[in-house]
Amino acid sequence: MPTVLINPLNEAINLKVAPAARLSHLAGTKIGLLDISKPGGSVFLDRIEHLLKERFGVKDVIRVTKPTFTKPAPTDVIDLLSKAGCHGVIEALAD
Amino acid sequence: MLESGHAAPQFVLPDLDGREIEIHPGSGGCLYLLVFFETDCPTCRLTFPYLNSLAGLVEAGSCRIIGVSQDSLSSTREFVDQMQVRFPVLHDGEWKVTRAYDPLAVPTIFLIGEDGNVAKTQIAFDKNDLNEIAGLLLKGTPNQSVTLAGEFDGNPASKPGCTSRHLETTADGDSPAALNLYARTGARSSKIELGDDVDPIEYCLDAGFDPLPVVPPTIERVERMLGAVSLPPDQVIAHVPPNYGEATVEKIAAAAVMAGCKPEMMKPLITLTRAVCDERFNIHGVQATTHFAAPLVIVNGPIRKELGFASGSNVLSNVARANSTLGRALQLLLLNIGGARPGEMDMSTLGNPGKFSYCIAENEEESPWEPFHVEQGFRPDQSTVTLFAAEPPRGVSEHNARKGRTILRAICQNLTTIFGYRLCMGFEAFVVICPEHVRTLQRDGFDKDSIRRFLFDNTGIPLRAFDDDDGEGVQYLKAYEKITIDGEPCYRKFAHPSQIRIIVAGGTAGKFSAVIGSWATGPRGSQVVTYPIE
Repeated sequence: MPTVLINPLNEAINLKVAPAARLSHLAGTKIGLLDISKPGGSVFLDRIEHLLKERFGVKDVIRVTKPTFTKPAPTDVIDLLSKAGCHGVIEALAD
Repeated sequence: MLESGHAAPQFVLPDLDGREIEIHPGSGGCLYLLVFFETDCPTCRLTFPYLNSLAGLVEAGSCRIIGVSQDSLSSTREFVDQMQVRFPVLHDGEWKVTRAYDPLAVPTIFLIGEDGNVAKTQIAFDKNDLNEIAGLLLKGTPNQSVTLAGEFDGNPASKPGCTSRHLETTADGDSPAALNLYARTGARSSKIELGDDVDPIEYCLDAGFDPLPVVPPTIERVERMLGAVSLPPDQVIAHVPPNYGEATVEKIAAAAVMAGCKPEMMKPLITLTRAVCDERFNIHGVQATTHFAAPLVIVNGPIRKELGFASGSNVLSNVARANSTLGRALQLLLLNIGGARPGEMDMSTLGNPGKFSYCIAENEEESPWEPFHVEQGFRPDQSTVTLFAAEPPRGVSEHNARKGRTILRAICQNLTTIFGYRLCMGFEAFVVICPEHVRTLQRDGFDKDSIRRFLFDNTGIPLRAFDDDDGEGVQYLKAYEKITIDGEPCYRKFAHPSQIRIIVAGGTAGKFSAVIGSWATGPRGSQVVTYPIE
């Protein structure tokens, strides 16, 4: 008699989502910066915003903050970024 | 939005079989309870079981409870089936009636009086409001003393809702079908046939079911486990973050087999699966953090004796099959169903030995005080599981103290170190007091409340510890509270006495207590949850 096991792993199929197309350039774009709300995050993102504008010619930077770093971004936070018409979003950690 | 005193419009909507139903509020001496809902709204899902109960309590003819769905017919049918809705549901796919009543969010409940005017509205979920509505509907009936939403039934006191569909700017009226987190029935597990030359234990290790050997989950063993509960194997108990895998009864049984559980452990394990996926506990964050956090299971009530949970000597270690296997089964579910695989989704910097198994029971027999679950509002004869996102335990050795206060001061010193010495206010602790310390404290007149108060008032970090402004804590100083402890200016460690929770556990010999610190706590982190085992 062969041994037959019940598969204990998750078998639910997750939808595969293709990543968004990479940006070919940053000049003239609108970039979202998602602050995950860890202390020091704003310091880091201030510097990123400065560099994006000064060095890469980014036109606009949209800053959005998650209510807590311990949970996924709620839909309304993601909506703020998507409705702002960002060409790309940078999610940044900080500590 | 219609408010109290406004006339409630009449309307006609199809039911789920396409029959046109006319609703005339104010006619026939009958109260109406209109419930606007969406099928993918977690708060609607939280509310409907209470409305189902209410539908079974009200007297026929005196009140009509009507659900008004803002979503497609197919998702509404699925919702009604999943939630086993016990009252009529109408389909407002074009939001015609929704616009007339104009709820701001879902669920919104309109109670309409016999005069046809709105008597009360309730937006989102609130137990007090639900109980008030139930009181109005059940007044003068044999059920008038029933509490619809009990304080400690495992659900939060309140929860915000979702924006009503007609106020969403981008919704198309249909629920997103990408990931159905509310499916009540899942798929049966696939089967894995092993060749005669394959050692099943080695196979399970190679397949990554756990880095420690497991009991191979053969069909026969899993069926024995399933035989201990009267639930269908494909019933989904919860979706386990961070991957939201389906924890069907069968998958839970397979985890129980692998962990070495006895079949009777299925009941608490199913409760524990629900509890760990309670969004207040935030297992998503607990699993994905770089911190030490691991879910600590605390068992209270008669089930400790019935299933052989140890609460005495060695309670935090390898002392009893019940503790070791329940804690391990939970970890196997988090790993294999939730997807929190170390180095992939579980990115803890150093980890926690509790991730093998971290399950203790309170030593209620050696405690002169109320057990933890009774403090939470449960009856002593109820059994519960509590979950705490915990650091590893820290030992408090105090063999020289003659006074209870001295023991508590030793615990205070230890409490200063949880999470980080200079980090205050945002963290919690379980203090595990050993029986010998309990006796000294009781002799000196302490109980759990006065211990908690003493620890709260006497745990602080001296201001001088912050002389060097480089390092942890300085970024939060504005939120810290200055107090004086024994003449020394300090920052208070805890924001509130309720952040210190006390249980009695351990053997009767040895004056060793323990402090178990938390991960980030409160609504922005992980909240302690206690579920009754029913």
